[in-house]
Amino acid sequence: MRIAIDILIGISVFFAFAGVVGMLRMPDSFCRMQSSTNISTLGVLGVIIGGILYAAFFLGDAGMAVKLAGMGLFYIITSPISGHAICKGAYKHGVRPEKEMVCDKYGEDMVEEE
Amino acid sequence: MKKSSFPAVLSTAILLYLFWLLITGQIVSIFRGDFSVQVLIAGVIVSLLVAVFSARFFIHEKAFYLWNPMRLINLLLYALIIFPIELVKANVDVAIRALKPSLPVNPGIVKVPVDVKSEYAQSMVANSITLTPGTITMDITEEDGQTNYYIHWIDVATQDPKEAGDAIKGTLEKWTRRIWE
Repeated sequence: MRIAIDILIGISVFFAFAGVVGMLRMPDSFCRMQSSTNISTLGVLGVIIGGILYAAFFLGDAGMAVKLAGMGLFYIITSPISGHAICKGAYKHGVRPEKEMVCDKYGEDMVEEE
Repeated sequence: MKKSSFPAVLSTAILLYLFWLLITGQIVSIFRGDFSVQVLIAGVIVSLLVAVFSARFFIHEKAFYLWNPMRLINLLLYALIIFPIELVKANVDVAIRALKPSLPVNPGIVKVPVDVKSEYAQSMVANSITLTPGTITMDITEEDGQTNYYIHWIDVATQDPKEAGDAIKGTLEKWTRRIWE
């Protein structure tokens, strides 16, 4: 059991590392957002699941495990909303990538509306 | 904003009461048989009170829609098996992209049609897409009765709306339709 917990936390540390490297290397802010969801999904969930197992099997504290599960649940519900809001806000504010995007249907449709 | 009906309040209160049981730890005590009646009654009062004020933000359609066992089982299957598989696949993909020296990104915004009707299903598909690394929903629009998502995609494989839709949200949409429709 101890080994399973260590593996879970190791996996999540690896994905958090990959996400940070991606955030530093990606060419523009939208791609950086993509990389940051890497941290916010497997990076956080691995730690939380590892924590649930640790609380349940080593501390014997069921209440703590349930609270951790609740944290994970609300994290999953709220994090895409903030990601969407940041991305849309950046686009509406006029942030554009330096490298040309392959296609930009959103920009085209926004120009048509105006 | 619609006014909240009685079934909506009741349905919200049941959900809130479940959370109350979870967070106070009483759900374990019930199985052990040493629960405290005081906490359970306080939970009923608090969850009804909160539900009266918050039901109109929470429920806009049929109130007891999700309490159907088949839908609950589908929802659990989706949340515990189908979606995590997609999540891990996409995570590995984006992590490899970020760590590769050549940085193979090919970003763009595609427009994708969605065929789910209910509000909940639409927001659930949109949130699932955003939660998956590599794709972010930027906006939802409706024109001529057809709902469209604008999705920022890190690796644009195709610009055709149908094919892009299948690649991004094929499985997710199928399961969401099974839950909500």
